[in-house]
Amino acid sequence: MKILIIEDEEGLRESIEEYFSEAGNICETASSYQSAMAKINLYSYDCILLDITLPGGNGINILKKLKEKNHPDGVLIISAKNSLDDRLDGLNLGADDYLVKPFHLSELKARVSAIIRRKTFNGSNLLLFNEIAIDLLAKEVKVHSIPVKLTRKEYALLIYFIANKGKVVSKNAIAEHLWGDGIDMANNFDFIYSHIKNIRKKLMEAGCKDYIHAAYGMGYKFNEH
Amino acid sequence: MKLSARYNRVNLVTTVIVMLFTGIIYYQAISWILTNQKDKDLKVEEQEVFDYVALNHRLPQIFESDDQQITFYNARPGSIQREFIDTKFYKILDKNDVQRKQGKTHAAEYESGRALISSVAVGNKYYKIQIIVSKVETEYLIRIIFMITIGVILFLVLILLITNRLILNRLWQPFYNIMKELRLFSLTDANDIAKVDTNIDEFRELNQAVLTMAEKAKHDYKDLKIFTENASHELLTPIAVINSKLDTLIQTENFSAQQSKLLNDLYSAVSRLNRLNQSLLLLVKIENRLLHEQQRINLHDLVEEMIVQFGEIFQDKDLKVTYSLANKEIYASRYLAEILLSNLFSNAIRHNNKGGEIAIDLTEESLTIKNTGDAMPLNGEEIFTRFHKSSHSEGSGLGLTISRQICENFNFSLNYTFQNGYHTFIVEF
Repeated sequence: MKILIIEDEEGLRESIEEYFSEAGNICETASSYQSAMAKINLYSYDCILLDITLPGGNGINILKKLKEKNHPDGVLIISAKNSLDDRLDGLNLGADDYLVKPFHLSELKARVSAIIRRKTFNGSNLLLFNEIAIDLLAKEVKVHSIPVKLTRKEYALLIYFIANKGKVVSKNAIAEHLWGDGIDMANNFDFIYSHIKNIRKKLMEAGCKDYIHAAYGMGYKFNEH
Repeated sequence: MKLSARYNRVNLVTTVIVMLFTGIIYYQAISWILTNQKDKDLKVEEQEVFDYVALNHRLPQIFESDDQQITFYNARPGSIQREFIDTKFYKILDKNDVQRKQGKTHAAEYESGRALISSVAVGNKYYKIQIIVSKVETEYLIRIIFMITIGVILFLVLILLITNRLILNRLWQPFYNIMKELRLFSLTDANDIAKVDTNIDEFRELNQAVLTMAEKAKHDYKDLKIFTENASHELLTPIAVINSKLDTLIQTENFSAQQSKLLNDLYSAVSRLNRLNQSLLLLVKIENRLLHEQQRINLHDLVEEMIVQFGEIFQDKDLKVTYSLANKEIYASRYLAEILLSNLFSNAIRHNNKGGEIAIDLTEESLTIKNTGDAMPLNGEEIFTRFHKSSHSEGSGLGLTISRQICENFNFSLNYTFQNGYHTFIVEF
C-alpha cells in the first residue's frame, strides 16, 4: 500500500514512517502544508495520515482540497485536539477516521489497515491471513473453514494483531485498544494475558498455527509465518 | 453590630446630651430673666414705699395681697443691708384653693418666693422693710418650658429613630445589593456582577471597584485556564513522540530481562503522564463548559454497558458485583456521563481488596456505588480536591475532581460516605 504521512513533528513522522515501512508498503512524508499539497496533487495514495496543525496552513484545507478533486484516498486525521467539534468537522468533511495524539503506532496501524481494507476490497468483507479467514461483516472467524467462537474482545484483539502482524505490540497499546483511554489499570495487565491465552487456545484447537508469542514481558507479537 | 445601629446609638446619645445641656442653659437663662423681672418689681415696690415715706413721713398701710407681702420691722439703725434673697412665701389659701387641694388640712402653705430686704428711716425711727413676692408663677412657667423641652427631646429622638431606620436602610440598600452580588460571584460562572444603580458617590465607587476587581479576577482566571490548556496541548506532541519512539524501540527485539523491565516502566510512566495530561485538559473543558452537547441518556443501559466493559477487570480482581438498576433517563452529555461512570467504577475497583464487593444501585433519585476496601473512612471533602490520592494509588489524583465537576455541570451532587464498611459514592440527580 501507498501511504502519505503529513506530520510536522519530525520525531513522530520518522517513527510512523519506520513502523509502516515493510515489504509491499511505500511511505512518503510531507512536513508542511505546501509540500503536502504538492504531493497530493501529483500522486494518489491508499491512505493519508493528516496532522491538522501544520506550518503554512490548516490540515483541514488539505482534506477539503482532496474531496473537491474527488481523490479516492483514505484520510486519517491525527490531531492533538480532542474535541468533539473537530472530530465531527473532520469526519463530516470526508475523513475516514480521527485519531487523537498521543497514540500507539499499533493503534494507528490498525486504523489505517481498516481504512485500506474498506477502500480496496470494495464490497468484500473477508480478511484472510494464512489459514485464518475473518468475515468482517458477520464478525465470524474460521480456521481451515472451521468456525471459531470468539468473544467480542477476543475478536477485536485478533483483528488488531493481524493488522500489526510481525510487530511487537505493547500491553499498554492492547489495553487502550480494548478498553479505551478511560481505563487506567496500568499496573494490572493480567486480564490481557487471560484474553491472549483464550485466543491461542481456541485458534489452536481449530488447527491454527500458534502465531501469538509473548515478547520479553512487554507485549505480544503476532508472527507472520 | 450594624453600622446603622452604631450610628443611631451615637446619634441618640449626642442628641440627648446636647438637648439636656441646652435645656439646662435654657432653664438657667429663663429663671435668671424671670428672677430679674421679680427683682425689678420688688424695686418698684420699694420705691413706692420710699416715696410714700418721703411724702407722708410715715409707713404706708399694708394691704393683704395674693402675691405680695410687705412687712415692716423695727430695727437698729444701720444694721440692715439691702439685699435680694430667695425665701418662702406664706400663702393663705382661700376657700376655693382649699377645696381644690384636697387633703391639705392647713389653710395656708408655703410657696417659694423672692424677697427684698431694705430699710427706711421714718423720722428718727429705723425700719426694716421685707417685701416678698411669690415666685410660683415663675416656677410654673419654668416647669412648662422644661416640659416642652423634654417633649421636644423625646419627639426628636423618636423622629430620628424612625427616619434613621427608614432612610438609613434605604440609603444602604445599594451597599447590600453589592454585597449580595459579591456573595453570588463565582470565578467559574459566566455571569458578571451586575451594576448597582445608585447616585451615592461612595457606593458608586465601591461598585466600580468591585466590578473592576471581579473583571480582573475573571481575566486572570481565564488566563490561567488558557495557560493550562495550552500547556497541556503542547505536552501532547512530545508525549506522542515518546510513545511512538517506545513503540519503535520494542520492535528491535533481543532485550534482556532488565531492559524489558525498564521499557515496561517507561511505558507505564508515559501512559500515566498522558492520562494526567488528558485529565487536566478535560477539567479545563468542563470548567469552560465546552462540552455541552446534551442528549437523552438511558442510565440503565449505560451502567449495564460499563459493567460489561469492566467485566474482565472485575474478574481479574475477583470482585463480586451486585447491581439493581431502575430505568432512569437523564439529559446530559454522553461523553461526560461515560467519563463519570468510568471514573467511579475505576475508583471502586482500584481501592478494593482482592475478592471484595461492589454494589451498584440506580434509582430515580440517585446512583450509588459502594465498594469494600480499607476499613478506614476517607475524608469526605479532601478526596474531591485536585491531586489528592492515597499513597499507593496509581491514579492521576484528578478522577474524583473530574467526577464532581461533571456532576456540578449536570446540576447533580456527588458525595462520599462510609457506611458499614462500604465506601459509598452517591450521585443525586
